[in-house]
Amino acid sequence: MCMRSQVTYAIVDGHLIQPDYMEPGKTLSERRWQSSFSEEGYLDIARVLRRIQRGGVHSNIKGEVWEFLLGCYDPKSTFNERTQLREKRRLEYEKVKSKCQEMEKRVGSGRIVVAPIITEDGQPIVNPSSNGANSGEEVKSNEVDSSIPENRNDSINLDKEVIQWKLTLHQIDRSLLYYESSENQARLWDVLAVYSWIDRDIGYCQGMSDLCSPIILLIENEADAFWCFERLMRRVRGNFKCTSNTIGVWAQLTLLSSVIKILDPKLHEHIVNLDGGEYLFAFRMLMVLFRREFSFVDALYLWELIWSMEYNPHLFTIYEANASPNRNQDKSQNEDLMKYGKFERKCLKSGQKDQQANMSIFLVASILKAKNKRLLLEAKGLDDLVKMLNGITGELDAKKACNEALKLHVKYLNKLSKTSDLDRTLDYSTLVIYIKKHRDEGNGEKLFSIR
Amino acid sequence: MAHRVDHEYDYLFKIVLIGDSGVGKSNILSRFTRNEFSLDSKSTIGVEFATKTLQIEAKTVKAQIWDTAGQERYRAITSAYYRGAVGALLVYDITKKQTFDNVQRWLRELRDHADSNIVIMMAGNKSDLTHLRAVSENDGQEFAEKEGLSFLETSALESHNVEKAFQTVLTEIYHIINKKALAAQEAARNSGPPGQGTTIHVVDSSDAGSSKSSCCSS
Repeated sequence: MCMRSQVTYAIVDGHLIQPDYMEPGKTLSERRWQSSFSEEGYLDIARVLRRIQRGGVHSNIKGEVWEFLLGCYDPKSTFNERTQLREKRRLEYEKVKSKCQEMEKRVGSGRIVVAPIITEDGQPIVNPSSNGANSGEEVKSNEVDSSIPENRNDSINLDKEVIQWKLTLHQIDRSLLYYESSENQARLWDVLAVYSWIDRDIGYCQGMSDLCSPIILLIENEADAFWCFERLMRRVRGNFKCTSNTIGVWAQLTLLSSVIKILDPKLHEHIVNLDGGEYLFAFRMLMVLFRREFSFVDALYLWELIWSMEYNPHLFTIYEANASPNRNQDKSQNEDLMKYGKFERKCLKSGQKDQQANMSIFLVASILKAKNKRLLLEAKGLDDLVKMLNGITGELDAKKACNEALKLHVKYLNKLSKTSDLDRTLDYSTLVIYIKKHRDEGNGEKLFSIR
Repeated sequence: MAHRVDHEYDYLFKIVLIGDSGVGKSNILSRFTRNEFSLDSKSTIGVEFATKTLQIEAKTVKAQIWDTAGQERYRAITSAYYRGAVGALLVYDITKKQTFDNVQRWLRELRDHADSNIVIMMAGNKSDLTHLRAVSENDGQEFAEKEGLSFLETSALESHNVEKAFQTVLTEIYHIINKKALAAQEAARNSGPPGQGTTIHVVDSSDAGSSKSSCCSS
């Protein structure tokens, strides 16, 4: 189990160097990737998925492959069409970025905001900590500067959305483990600042930088990186969506709870007895896709495995139409199922309609399964549980975890189909109670219209 | 919080670390429990956790400290972790006025979700950054007195007052528990035979160590 953490890897000049655990013959190589395109540029996605699901993507091509996995581009498009789309998106990004620049000069300047710049009622804050020097806990690069005072007249007409946006700018996480360059930092900050402006329903939420920073490293062009991150956020933004007393990821935690209850009733009962029935201990895993539980390079490997297994060939079209993936309608008749990832294929075959079901839930299940004995024997309180699960960093093997997750998913689907109608009704009623509870609090609709 | 019998300690106290994001909560925790400090620690997602065992008046006390995410939107989650906490370290950053202004909000949060007897210590962190100070020690002190909180300025970076802050909270909790134990004894003596509707846990002072008490609420 510990093999991965001993693997050597390196990031040189801001570039990721192929870790040597990648197995030739299993990993999607650059050559195989190139040869998977037709002359016009159509991509044989089934062939590519087969490889990625077996051994990930070579680091030279991770960025461009991720763009497809995350639905930025349609495999059924030509090189030309994609070039045009890319150009169009770059312009679009520049436009939004300029708008952000108008509101806050530091966007796009190579400098970042490190301290609050505005109060909740819209008054600019001139920070005494502006020069940042020696503050230690604040500043790592001499490019950082928050000393430019805002023009006071600007604040008078600031509307709520702008204030809300400005309020979070300094919270953008600046720690970029493994690659510290002020240029990358500023790019990351810009992308997150712009994202939190275009997705104002959510804004900036801590954890987003965990999701964004690998993309900044892999995709050199900032606009391209932005859109790739934006597509990633479409998958997970529901988790970040908040109301005054709940947060979107709750829906996933609820599903996790019912999955474990079905797969491992004994462990579920133990967890409930430890007062952990809300499964909050899995919060971080679901929010930042195991970024903190796996080493940096392993997390990238894990992500591409997840996305290839969850791949749906209609992603691009769905996102372009600004719709949410829907398992009820997206498979046309006689469609080649090999164009779907293993996980998604299973969902379709079994007729599982639950839009919340994803690999992450079953990955948590696989981690719990691996720890099952220890948890049952040694966890005597919620603190032990959190401690055991927070302490797994570096212990996990991405591929094993994914394979185990797929197995558990199949097991879950089988058990579900065997469950009597009565039981299913019971499970359904718990969900209804849950939805009602939130609806009563005025959050139901919002919470469940996320995806 | 689960009561448990364990021979490693006499008491187990749950403490929550709260305050705005970026004030240094995680570094206070790592300084206290592992004597470590990181200049670029990552933001806490949800909740993290550490323990440290220390001596308080000849008793072994295990402090179980829950470090929570500071960003406003995570409060829906973190408040769930207040359950069972007997102490709180409420942290602000002396170089950022706003984090001090928000202390009031965090107190409300505690009142809404935590035990009403919770012992609160307010800590003005980053006291090493004197040239960037935006909140005077006096303002901190005054506010603490008004709200009935203990108060210290701390520096996780320089390891200043961190240990003392925890020690103070834990000692105060210990005293409250002792007092409760005595009061309970007293009550038991005066209330005659049981069965009047109130449950009283009697702890003999000579045997306090075996009570493994972990909570100061009744």
